[in-house]
Formats: sequence, C-alpha cells, structure tokens
Amino acid sequence: MDIKNEVLYRVYFVLFGLILPVAVVLMYRTIDIGIIQGKEWRERGEQLYMEPRPIEAERGNILAVDGSLLATSIPYFDIYMDPNSTGMKEEDFVNNIDSLAYCIANYVDEDLTVGAFRDFLIQQRQDSARFVLIKKGVSFAEKNRMEKFPLFNLGRMRGGFIAIKSSERRRPFGLLGHRTIGFIRDDGSAVGLEGYFDENLGGKEGEQLMFKVDETKDLWLPMDDLTTVEPQSGDDLHTTLDVNVQDIAEDALLRAMNYHNADWGTAVVMEVKTGAIKAMANLGRWKDSWWETRNYAVGRAVEPGSTFKLATIMALLEDGYIRLDDSVNIEKGRTSFYDQSMVDATPFSYTIDSTSIRRAFEISSNVGMAKLVNKFYGENNPTNEKNNAEKFIKRLRSFNLDIPTGVEIEGEDPPYIKDAYSQEDSWSGTTLPWMAIGYELEITPLQLLTFYNAVANGGVMMKPYLVSEISHYGKTRKRFLPTVVNQRIASKETIEKVQNLLLGVVERGTAYKLKSEQYLFAGKTGTAQVNYRRLANNTTRLDGYRATFAGYFPADNPVYSCIVMINNPRKNGFYGGDVAGPVFREIADKCYATRLELHEAYNRGPKTIRASYDLPDLDVGAKEDLEKVLDFFELPKYGDPDADFALIQSRSDSVLLQQRKLPEEAVPSVVGMGLRDALFVLENRGLKVQFSGMGKVVQQSIKPGTRARGQVISLRLR
Amino acid sequence: MRPRGSSMKYMDWTTFSIYIGLISVGLLMVYTVDYEEATIAGNFFRTSAGKQAIWMVISVLAFFLITLIEWKFWQTFSYLIYGLSIFLLVAVLFLGTNIKGATSWFTFGSFSFQPAEIAKFGTSLALANFLSTYNADMRDIRTQFISFAIFLVPTGLILLQPDAGSALVFMSFTIMLYREGLSPIYFIVGGFLAGMLLLGFVFDIEYIALGLIWGFTLILSLNLKSRKWWWALGALAFFATGILFIQQDLFQLVILLSIAVFLLASLVVWRHKKGRLAFMLNTAVLVGIGISFLANYVFYEILEPHQQDRINVWLQPSKCDPRGSLYNVLQSKMAISSGGLQGKGFLNGTMTKLNYVPEQSTDFIFCTIGEEQGFLGSFGIIALYFLLLYRITIVAERQRSGFSRRYAYAIAGILFVHYIINIGMTMGLMPIIGIPLPFISKGGSSLLGFTVMLAVLLKLDANRGVG
Repeated sequence: MDIKNEVLYRVYFVLFGLILPVAVVLMYRTIDIGIIQGKEWRERGEQLYMEPRPIEAERGNILAVDGSLLATSIPYFDIYMDPNSTGMKEEDFVNNIDSLAYCIANYVDEDLTVGAFRDFLIQQRQDSARFVLIKKGVSFAEKNRMEKFPLFNLGRMRGGFIAIKSSERRRPFGLLGHRTIGFIRDDGSAVGLEGYFDENLGGKEGEQLMFKVDETKDLWLPMDDLTTVEPQSGDDLHTTLDVNVQDIAEDALLRAMNYHNADWGTAVVMEVKTGAIKAMANLGRWKDSWWETRNYAVGRAVEPGSTFKLATIMALLEDGYIRLDDSVNIEKGRTSFYDQSMVDATPFSYTIDSTSIRRAFEISSNVGMAKLVNKFYGENNPTNEKNNAEKFIKRLRSFNLDIPTGVEIEGEDPPYIKDAYSQEDSWSGTTLPWMAIGYELEITPLQLLTFYNAVANGGVMMKPYLVSEISHYGKTRKRFLPTVVNQRIASKETIEKVQNLLLGVVERGTAYKLKSEQYLFAGKTGTAQVNYRRLANNTTRLDGYRATFAGYFPADNPVYSCIVMINNPRKNGFYGGDVAGPVFREIADKCYATRLELHEAYNRGPKTIRASYDLPDLDVGAKEDLEKVLDFFELPKYGDPDADFALIQSRSDSVLLQQRKLPEEAVPSVVGMGLRDALFVLENRGLKVQFSGMGKVVQQSIKPGTRARGQVISLRLR
Repeated sequence: MRPRGSSMKYMDWTTFSIYIGLISVGLLMVYTVDYEEATIAGNFFRTSAGKQAIWMVISVLAFFLITLIEWKFWQTFSYLIYGLSIFLLVAVLFLGTNIKGATSWFTFGSFSFQPAEIAKFGTSLALANFLSTYNADMRDIRTQFISFAIFLVPTGLILLQPDAGSALVFMSFTIMLYREGLSPIYFIVGGFLAGMLLLGFVFDIEYIALGLIWGFTLILSLNLKSRKWWWALGALAFFATGILFIQQDLFQLVILLSIAVFLLASLVVWRHKKGRLAFMLNTAVLVGIGISFLANYVFYEILEPHQQDRINVWLQPSKCDPRGSLYNVLQSKMAISSGGLQGKGFLNGTMTKLNYVPEQSTDFIFCTIGEEQGFLGSFGIIALYFLLLYRITIVAERQRSGFSRRYAYAIAGILFVHYIINIGMTMGLMPIIGIPLPFISKGGSSLLGFTVMLAVLLKLDANRGVG
C-alpha cells in the first residue's frame, strides 16, 4: 500500500467510519426515542407531569329575599413552599431563611420552634424537595399575611410561596331550608336550588396547564403561560325565601313532628299575589330525630284526601249542577258504592241525615261529596249524558291539577289524574266517588297549594317560584317575574263561593278549633288514609293517616297561602285539623304578628283629635315657613295674617295664625323667633346681635320699641 | 498564488453559514429555556438570553477580528499560546473558583472563563505545529511520545481540577494523530483496554474471562491451516454445551475445561508457525482479565455510591432509581420525545421550561430543541453538525500547509467529541459528562472559545494558496 492510498483510506475512515456512523447513531436514537418508543415516553412524560387541569370557579351565593346569605362559598388556602423553585436565588434563601422560620414558628404554627423549622427547610432545600407543606386550610387573611413573610414576599418564582385555593360551601343559617337550598353531594350530584341552578351558580371552570410537582404525589402547580383560561365565578341567586318565615315554618313543623311522633312532614308558605315561595320546610325521620332528608313538598305526589274536596265542589259549581244551599243526604256518614263502603272521617256526620251542601263541605263529609260527584258525573246522571266522568276529569284539568308546577327544584313529581274510563289507569265504578274525596289520584303538596293559592288570588293561578333574580357581582343577569299560569281557573262567582266555603270550614267546620280572634283565615282540613287496602271481608286496612291543612290568610285580603302536611302521626290525634291545622295556625299567627303589611295601617282610621298641649304655641316666624310646616304635619290651622311674620297660638284642637307687625324704626320684639329670623329682623335695623343658648329667643336685652341706633343687643335662646 | 489580505473573499462561506446557523439556534434556545426568567427580570440584557446575545455579538466581532490578523501569527505563536494555557491550567488549581466541586474557573466579577477552553485551542496549535516540523514522523516512536505528551499534559492538569468531561475532549487529538499516520494498533489496544474496563464495571469477572477465552478460542481455530471451519464449528458446539452446563451450576467445571481447550488451541496454532498470534491472545486474556478485575475492584471497593450511579446510569440504567440517579436522563428523554415530529413550537416547551431537566440551558440544551422543535429539529441539528464536521474534513484535506491541515483535524476532533458526548448524553447513549454543545449551549467563554478556533481555521483556509 503506497502512502497516498493509505492516507486516503485514513481520511475515508475518519469521515465514513467515525463521523458519519456517529451521526447516524445519534439520528437513529432520536427516532428511537421520539418515534419508536415515543408513545411510551410521551405517556410517561405528559401524563405524569403536565396536563391542562380545571380551575374551580367560585360558586355563587344563594340569598334570601332580604339579602341575607343562605349559602356562600368561603375560600381557603393550603400553603406550601417550594424550596427549590426556579427563580430562587441561594442568596435570597440564605438571607431570609432565619426570618422566615421565625415568622412561621411564631405566627403560623406555634408547635414549631424557630431553629428546628429553619433546619428542616434547609434540609428540604438540600433534598431537592419541591413541595413542603406549611399549613393547610388557612383563611384569606392569613394567606395574605403569610405572603408578606420574608422570602415568601418574593413571590412564587423567587420566593417559593405556593398557595392552593379551595373553597368550602357554608350556610350561615345552618340547616335552615337545607333541602330547599340544596347541597352538592360528594359524588357531584346536587339537589335543591344548588342542583337546579348548578350551571348558574357553578360559573365556568377555567383551565390551566399544570405540572406535577412530585411524581409520587398528586400535587399540581399552575404554570404561568398564555393558554390559561380564567374561571368565571358563578352567579348569585336571589331567592324568594324569607329567613324569618322559613324559621317559623321549620320550627312549628318540627314541634308538631315531635308531638305527634310522625314520619315526615312539610310546610310551604306562598305569597298569594305572586306565587313567590316564602318558606319551604321538609322534615323526615332520621334515626331518632328529624332532618331535611327529602323535599316532600315537591318530590312526592301523594293522595291528598279531603283537601281535594275544594276541587270537587268547584267542579260541581262550575258545571252548574249544584247550589250550596241544596241539600244532600249524608246517611249519617256511611254509605257504599258497589261493594265498597265509605265512611266519614269526622264525627260531625254521625247525627246528620240530610244537610246543605255547604254544611257537608264544612264538616268534610266524604259521603256527601262522593254522592254528589257520583250523581252528576256517574252513569245515571240527571242530564243523561254518557261518559260524563270525562267532564269531571276535564274540569279538574282546567284547574291545572294535572300539570307540574315547574318550581325550580330538581325532581318534581308530576301529579297523577286518571283518564276517564281508562283501562290502563284501572278505572272502575268506585273511582269517581273516591276521586271526589281525594283518592285514586296523586298530587304533591306544592301542586295542591298552588291550587289553593289560585282560589285565594281570586282565580288567578300563579306559578310557584323560588328564585327572583340571578345576578353577577350585583348586576342583574336575569330577573324572574311572577308568572300567571292560568288567568281564571273558574268563574268569579264560583271562586267567591268556595272562598266562603273555606272560611266556613274555619268558622264553624272541621277547623273551628283553630279560629283566631285576631284575623280571619280560610282553609280546608284533610285526613287521608295512607296505603289503605280493601280486604276480602269488606274491611280496610291502612298504615296510618296523613294530616293536611291547606289555606290562606287573612281571609278578607289574602297575603299568604300555606299548606302543612304531616304523614303518619302516631300519637296525640291524627285529624288534619288536630295535627296539621295547629302548625298552619302557628305559622299564620307568627307571620301575622311580624309582618307589618298584614296589619291595618293605624293612620288609615279617622284623624286623631289632638289636645291643645300637643300643639305648638307662641312661635314666631316667617308666615310662609310656618304654614308650610303646619301643612306637612297636617295640623289644622286657621287665620290668614296679612304680614310677613306671624305668631302661632294654640286653640283647643287647631292652631291660630296671628299677624305680627314689626316696627320699621324701632327695636322689635323677637321673643319666640328662631335665631335665623331674629338675626334677619334685628340686623336689618342696624343692630349688632350677641346671643347665647339655642332654640327660641326667650329674652332680649333692649326693650321693644326703643329706637334702633346700631346698639348691641344680646339675646338669650332656649 | 493569491494576493494577500483578501481573506474575506476566500472565506469558506459554507462553514461560516453553518456557524451562524448554530449560534442563532443557540440564542433562541437559551431564550426559550429562560423565558420565565426573562419575563420576570424585565430588562432583556440582564437575562441569560440577553447575556448570550451580547456574547454572540462579541464572538462574531472576534471572528472578523481574527480574519484581519496575519495567518502566520498562529503558527508562529503556537507554542507561546500553548505555554500560556498550560500556565493558566496550573494557576487555576490555586487561584480558580470552585464551582460544583471542580476548580476549573477563573472569575473576574461577573465574568468567568475556563482555561480548559484556551488549552484546547493552544494544544491544537502546538500539536499541529510540532507535527509540521521536518523531522516529525508519526511512525517514529519519539514523535509519537512527544505528540502524546503535548495533549496528555493539559489532560492531566484538567483531571486534577477535576473535570473529566474536558479531559475526555483531549482524547479527540488521537483522531488527528490517526490521520497523520499513527498505527491502528494503538487504537485496537486502547479500544480493548477501554472495553475491558467498561465490561469490568458491569459484569462479573468470571463471565468476562469466559467470554474472552471463548472469543479467542474461536479466533485461534479460524487461524488453523486446514479444516478451520470444522474446528470453528467444533468450538461453537463446545460453547453451547458449556452454556448448558452453566445452567446446571457447573460453572467451575466449564471454566476449567474452557481454559484447557484454549491452551490446547494455542498450542496447535503455535505448532502451525503462528506463535505470535497465540502469544498475543494469551497476553490479551491475562491483561483483559486483569483490567476487568481492577475495574471491578475499583467500582465496588473504591468508587463512592454516587460515582457508581453515574456509571450505572450509562451502562445499566435498569439498575438505577428512576427518581434518583436516572432522573435526569429520563426527564431528558421524555422532553425529547414529548416534542413528537414537529415539536411543541418555540417558547411552548413545558418540561424544559420548568427545569424538569437540570442544566437545561447548558449541558442539556439539546432536550429543548427536541421538545420545542420536535424530531425534525433534533434531526436538523444532528445533520448540521455532521455537515460542519464533514466540511471541516474537506477543508482540512484541501490545505497545502501541513500545519493548517493538522489544525483543522484537531478542531474537527474537538467538535466531534463534544457533539457525540453532549447529544449522546441527553439520549442516554453516553455517560452524563458535563460538557457543552458547541455554539448552542449557554455560556460566553465556551462560545467565544469555539468561535476563535473556527475563525482561525477559516483564516488559515482562506490563505491556503499563500505559502
């Protein structure tokens, strides 16, 4: 091999035996890592260390009608330190670590000692720790203070200060309206208003790229980059709930539940004119106590029993089949339809054979109502119309008794009204008479209350609602106005008649014990049998009673309607009038006592006649001013002085204005004037005024009538 | 003959363009890594990227300044520069600043530089100059000795700092020596020794011995005059049986039999008048076992655990704790692979920006390229370096002056070692040795050092017609 060739070989070797293979190996390795094993590496890399993560938006508040907070979110922070953060300089760390340890040991956690904690932090820095817990669950104020600690005040990048925000739902009124306001379960599902308005309250989650601080822990830190989507805080919910009424309702209901050892109960108070729900209390048995376990007012349609007779009698009246003074034979409270016997629940009936329909309603006679319905809508009705039961059902539907209220609570149970003669609904010959007294149909307490409310409201049915406004930082986003569901559920005459009937129930019917001297209220009791079964030997079995009272107050000018339903009272009575009625009465009493608008305004009566010592006397002032003041206070006055100044004199029941002429050249009497008038009068005459005290002038140093020559005059006021 | 003073006209623009390309990439990458810092600091020139930009300007100015200096200056003063760098290497041991356990930096206020950078340059010049003397001949043992001494002296001084990475770079001069005619025997022996050393770090001495004996037995059998393939097959059959026996826990028996077979084969080969080969292979077995044994002993008895870790990370990553010593390499690989084909885009790298990978803007800057510019970007950078090295080799071979050619090869070698170690390290091919990626990594003195080396080369090349 000659030299030249050998050199060439060596050059080739360097180029293609060394440099090129290395380049190829390196390239292959990038392919290997990036593509062949790429998926594996990327999974390890991205999923473990970096991902866009949601940032919780601040949940909106739920407010009562007066603006008090029913539910709110309170932020709290977990404080960590990153002793190896990117921007932390050794110099900063060394210079500040002593003071930081001092601050933390003294102001954050008193169990720590300064020296040990300082050593701990130094150790953590040496161990390349990125996430050292300082304290969990600190308040916003505490966090702000910690932010000012030495080293921490350099921020997250340089100071390693990490505050992770979370928020906690708080209810300043505790369990008040618990179920109605609702809550969010651990699994994320929500009930009540929290659930229905979850989208509004929840706001919009943000999203931010976060990186995992430590492979072994599920701890993420936000990255400062431009792709961050800021969360939008939730809207505030302004409810119609009145904290006081809610409290009254819950309190009264709870006591009744205890007294009667019942299973569950509900009480709803609604504003007659608008349908706004002022209180919605629900109590269910929970171990040995009662708890807002379920929204019975909305979530459970039940057989209403006698409270439904309002609808029955309205149907009969609307269809013109009856007049209230017609008589009906209630057969001493016992009759039978086909093979089924019906008895009256109330003892009133046992002595009565025949009575007026009005009386039958007031004493809540099952037999009376059922017989009337069966007579006019049954097979052999006097008008000989076929399929007349359809007319009855249609009438009930025209009262909107077959549709849900649409109240803003998740999971409203729809009412159940059978279709006439429907096989599917197992319609039978006894269906009609039993529907007349509120069986073989289901309706929720709130739906029933909506119906009663419409009667109270002169036939105008309002949609019950809980939320009047959605706002964001005090700015209204959406306003919910009262909604009319049905302009007129029945004719004016019918409404007036049934209003009278309901008043009669309280005045002399099943609820006469509840009558109040203070105000009139109207309503209807109901004592439904729960889960009754007809047995072979023509007897029935049942699991208890459901006591109800629905009504409104004050009867002459209804402001609130209210329903109380208590299920399965075990002791101290079971009649609607005995169990639910007193709760209604208590709510009505307290509302009446605390709500000014329910009272007749005092100034509406004839004007009070005032004694003369009540009236102003011997004041002197500009005539126009005096007249204006007297007019404002509506004090009767007479006299029309022809001068700039006037004197007031009290007469027996009114005020006399007398003219007060002031001499132009002499010192006038200013006694009785206010200081302003006195100064005006005296200085106009060239006098110099000194004064002491305040009020009206009671004394002046220069006698009236003295020539005014620029003297100094002293006044005493009192 | 070209006229003097027209070096700009004859500058190798290809190399220059690659250079500008690399330093621009470097600036962008430093900027993206320290992007957060930049957003905090406010003043751009106080940030790492700002400082890098200033250094870039200084380097480019230095580049043109060097083209103005008479080309003969470098050959004339080569020994002086070499002497000065040796002096600085000694001085730094006493006056230098200790950064991360190594006394390899001179610090003047905020400015600091590594004398090793100057030493690379000075050694290149001195070695090139020495080999250009008339009586230098690579086949001559004296020339070989002096050549080795010229680069081993600074290597030794750097090892005293200690800075293994920079010391390793000095091994690159053997590439130039090879081109100048150094016998391949040196590389074979050197490679054998290094290989035994590394094997000794990883495997038990018994297996290394068995491997050597079996391998050499095969070589011996292939050197028989007649029926060598039959003998070779027989040897393989013997090994196969040996493996079966080893699985039966008869290791000692197998090794004794193997030694016997090996000695027998040696004897036969010797009888075939190939005594030198037999002697060499026997020596190699003994030396190999000795080196491995030493390596094994050093590894387990002398090295500290963290030093063992470093070697394990490279050679036996499966033995390492992914959250401990292996962490850096894992993070680095994840960053590179997270870029995918096209990368996440400039400034969008997340892992690198968050300092998942340590020394992100200096030693591990290649990850940033991988993450933000993706597979295409990494590929491009590797290709760009290959082009640069290829071009320098071409440039070297077109020199008339032996000094210029040797200098060019020296520079190519230095860049090559930096290239393979730095990029290889980020991908787990090489041990983690802290040396920068030329022209790209953050660091003023390194950038200026490489610029000067390259500028001198291009100045020499521009004047290749002269003299």
